[in-house]
Amino acid sequence: MKATARHHGKVTVVDVSGKITIGDGDIKLREAVNGLLDEGRKSILLNMSGVSYMDSAGIGELVACYKRATEKGATLKLLNPTGKVQDLLVLTKLQEIFEIFRDEREALTSF
Amino acid sequence: MDSINGFEAEAHGTVGRKVKLKLLSRIAYVDLVHEVAEALARDARFPKPEALNIGLAVREAFINAIKHGNRMDAAKRVEVEFQETADRFLVRIRDEGPGFDWNQTIDPLNAENIFRTSGRGIFFMKHFVDRVDFRRRRGRGTEVLLEKRIEPSAGRAGGGSQAMKRRRG
Repeated sequence: MKATARHHGKVTVVDVSGKITIGDGDIKLREAVNGLLDEGRKSILLNMSGVSYMDSAGIGELVACYKRATEKGATLKLLNPTGKVQDLLVLTKLQEIFEIFRDEREALTSF
Repeated sequence: MDSINGFEAEAHGTVGRKVKLKLLSRIAYVDLVHEVAEALARDARFPKPEALNIGLAVREAFINAIKHGNRMDAAKRVEVEFQETADRFLVRIRDEGPGFDWNQTIDPLNAENIFRTSGRGIFFMKHFVDRVDFRRRRGRGTEVLLEKRIEPSAGRAGGGSQAMKRRRG
């Protein structure tokens, strides 16, 4: 799993690619989001378009990131989850929790 | 039987073709087990999305065996046995732990549990395959059976598993 951050004004877009799974992707996702929160970033958009799939540990870490962001007064939103990831978000009802966007510009202006 | 760094594999049989892996309880082996499961499911003529679902179910069962079965004891082994029959793809995951209560799982869809960061493994397994059964093996840990029906319309060539044929010894 790879996570690369880019900044658009106050919003940080994290381009995530690969799989978010136990022992690798979940840890890298945690480190990426924690790093941004520690820098004081308040608006984080996770671009999920390059994520092929997640397991229960990856889903758990996504929820943990959302909770940590909220606790720190930040907002974490999702952009373009792919077929399998989208399926898992629906299956777990997390699509009702996360704000999910299909268009990056729309997502950027939503913060 | 080959054995390399806590990993053993064997394949045999012309009836009810079987492939068996024996691995130490290491998270580092999760991807390997997932990939073998997905490859054998593809070989059993499951379409790619279904093969991924089977891979994900086996992944969760293997993680469960390490964490809750063997309780992260890296010296204990997990056995993963794949069997393809005429109409079923079966995977048995056996740990060597003292046992755990598989009924004591939360419903991750309850509003109070939505924000939980764990507890979705068995839920995923049940979603991705047709049947999930847990069985305590007296003094020998727990076995999880995952079963997926092979639909006749899957276009199987009748000859069965190419990969298993290749590995037969």
